[in-house]
Amino acid sequence: MPDSTNKSGDPWTPYIPSERLPWDLARVVHLHRRAGFAGSWTALQRDLSEGPKASLTRVLQGRMHRNRAVPEFEAVAASLADSGVSTTIPERLKAWWVFRMLFTPDPLGERLTLFWHNHFATSNLKVENLAAMRRQNEIFRESARAPFGELLRRVVKDAALLDWLDAPANRREHPNENLAREMMELFTLGVGNYTELDVQQGGRALTGWSYKDDGFREFPEQHDDGEKTILNRTGHWNGDDFVAMLLGHPATSIRLAKRLCELFMGNEGGAVTSAHIENLAEGLRIHQLDIGWAVERILRSEAFFAASNLRTRVLGPPEFVIGTVRAFEQFDPPPSTLLLAEWIARMGQDLFYPPNVFGWRGGRSWIDSRSLVARMNFAASFVQGATCHPSAPGNILGLIERTTGGSDREAGIRFLSQLLLGSEPTPDTRREFESAAGTRARLDADAARRLAICVLASPEAQLG
Amino acid sequence: MLTRREFCKQATLISLAPTVPAFLAQTAHSAVPLKDERILVVIQLDGGNDGLNTVVPYPDENYQRLRPKLAIGEGRVLRVSDSVGLNPAMRGAHELLSEGRLAIVQGVGYPNPSKSHEVSMAIWQTARFDSTEHRSYGWIGRALDEAPAANSDGPAALLVGKEALPVTLRGRKSIGATLANLDEMQVADASTLGTQREASVGDDLTAFMRRSRLDALLTAERLRQAAKPPGVVGTVPEGELGKRLALIARLIKSDFGARVYYAVQSGYDTHAFQREPHADLLRELSEGLRFFLDILKRDGLDDRVLVLAFSEFGRRAEENASAGTDHGTAGPVFLAGSKIKPGLHGAPPNLAALEKGDLAVNVDFRQVYQEVLANWLTLPPQGVLKGAFEPLNLF
Repeated sequence: MPDSTNKSGDPWTPYIPSERLPWDLARVVHLHRRAGFAGSWTALQRDLSEGPKASLTRVLQGRMHRNRAVPEFEAVAASLADSGVSTTIPERLKAWWVFRMLFTPDPLGERLTLFWHNHFATSNLKVENLAAMRRQNEIFRESARAPFGELLRRVVKDAALLDWLDAPANRREHPNENLAREMMELFTLGVGNYTELDVQQGGRALTGWSYKDDGFREFPEQHDDGEKTILNRTGHWNGDDFVAMLLGHPATSIRLAKRLCELFMGNEGGAVTSAHIENLAEGLRIHQLDIGWAVERILRSEAFFAASNLRTRVLGPPEFVIGTVRAFEQFDPPPSTLLLAEWIARMGQDLFYPPNVFGWRGGRSWIDSRSLVARMNFAASFVQGATCHPSAPGNILGLIERTTGGSDREAGIRFLSQLLLGSEPTPDTRREFESAAGTRARLDADAARRLAICVLASPEAQLG
Repeated sequence: MLTRREFCKQATLISLAPTVPAFLAQTAHSAVPLKDERILVVIQLDGGNDGLNTVVPYPDENYQRLRPKLAIGEGRVLRVSDSVGLNPAMRGAHELLSEGRLAIVQGVGYPNPSKSHEVSMAIWQTARFDSTEHRSYGWIGRALDEAPAANSDGPAALLVGKEALPVTLRGRKSIGATLANLDEMQVADASTLGTQREASVGDDLTAFMRRSRLDALLTAERLRQAAKPPGVVGTVPEGELGKRLALIARLIKSDFGARVYYAVQSGYDTHAFQREPHADLLRELSEGLRFFLDILKRDGLDDRVLVLAFSEFGRRAEENASAGTDHGTAGPVFLAGSKIKPGLHGAPPNLAALEKGDLAVNVDFRQVYQEVLANWLTLPPQGVLKGAFEPLNLF
């Protein structure tokens, strides 16, 4: 039996700290990893002392940290995006998003934006229009916590997705099923909940949807106004009718519940049962598919903080990279967002370029030889300061001294383990850290850096 | 034969030496090829290769008449048959032909040819003729969508080079990736990394991560070792293509796991003074092929690899006023490997029966794809090609 099951019968019963499930550093780190991009030691300590309720409210409302590094966050971000779009250099737009992830007061919002980018996986490889890619990204962000209907309608009536799924090619005389199929299989119902005939008929309903000058346009002369039977309902359906049918179908709530659990509950460890999915899906139906409601339900739950849900998820590339910079607080000189975006791509998540309509598979598939080599090399590159501009070795010893009040080797190992893993490492791993830290009782700058690289490159540091 | 995964499982029983590189140096040396899947390497000759000056119909008086400046005389061609010979720059390819490792399909194209680089390339890349389908999925991506799930987590198709992922390799499910150089596969500094003495057993995430890290270090080391000078088979030929093929050979040898590799050789759009530059390209291609196949043969991998080289179109039969050639239609396709039925396939170009100055198409490129998919990669071609085509019996 998973330890998240409880007597009340509600699989999402709220988390209340107890002897069995204490509000400890491991759980604070867990919250920051799962709902954001890791936290600085100060933020971790603040949340540890303020307790789960206040910490969760901060996470959910998007005021995770006061933004000292970049005061005019939104203004700076917008100008970065503008210049990225106008230069037509995709790397600049990736760097814009990395900047947002690094400095946003709402890391959960960026995690959800990333989540929707994966759900509606659209690649600039085909779209080749940075303005459209940026606008789609802003829709993901603005409607990240909205009722799903609002988000879906905005995304499917936007140039990037319409172009990506060949909407302009879907005409009365010459239907193209691409958009209808992916709307059913990937955006809403999931495979097994519709027939091939539904796809064809859905495609007919969507004829006439297109875009012009980057805006949504309906071309009535291209629309097939004939009778269609979709999901056992017959009528002269148009695109809006089709979307409404998909939103009203119970399979959509189940699929959303599963997707949200994949995001927050990790992929392994058995913390999620079918009861969790069904209950969350039912709640979503009652709450008009309100994503914000579902996210809060999950994050405030006992199941989320259950031991079986801790450290059971492979960190995605942005979580690993952004989390590293944020945890180590290496902002002077500032990190190069261009380089960070490049590292994220090398680890297998090239932002704005998902590999196909299914997006990135996530979980264990983040890990292969190439991506692990990238993670190991990033660890060294970051600690040695090559990801900063101008390049300068990271002051790891300074961080250790500030936090632990000295340069004691044992204290340094304990601190970095807690900061990144939330707990003491296994004895095997600890031996590796010890060997990297050298044999002297006090760390010098170099030993501190070697230790940091070893911790970051460790198998444990890839999990969260 | 041991798969890499099995090897790593076994490695959990071995007490590892204290320094990773030393340990890896040993195992990487002793453990040789671990997979037995067949591999396809595609070379895209970008720009429209002049087929008539590649596979030359030297005795044809029409050829000499249409190409007063560019024709290659009987004395200079590398003779293949009584009707055609290879461009004199293609010594390597000529040797492969005589050794039975190269097939040339002549007169390959498609109905109603387009002379736009972009459109024609998209047609070859997607095997679709409706332009609305030219940016979605490619013929290889679609084919790999049909493949059973791979036992490796890496991409199923890999472009080696600096180009963006071509539509050819894009599938609905299958994953294509690009690799510009090997630095991305090399551990910059292993000295601070953990040197676990016992890899974990079990299937929990941490054990999985530990095994994967060992696997990654092993692969990196194998790649490093595979970089050793080729020795008996000569040096890497000059130019980008040679380097890319050498890198692909290393990836194959190191058990990288992709089923399709892709490389682009640019520069075939020879509108003016083409003799030398065209010969240089063909030399690079044919030396590259020769080197690549020899290196694979040395490593006992040649049975597993087929190379396919194509261009988006041939060029017009008649040369233009600037000693170059303009966009044309049909052209030769090359297939190289030890399992191919070697020699010439398809009828030689008939210069007496040009269609508006262009060569007639004798073989549909989808016939070639069908052969490659069905008989080499053993993937069902029907859906990919939307139909069945007359077999060419290339294998």
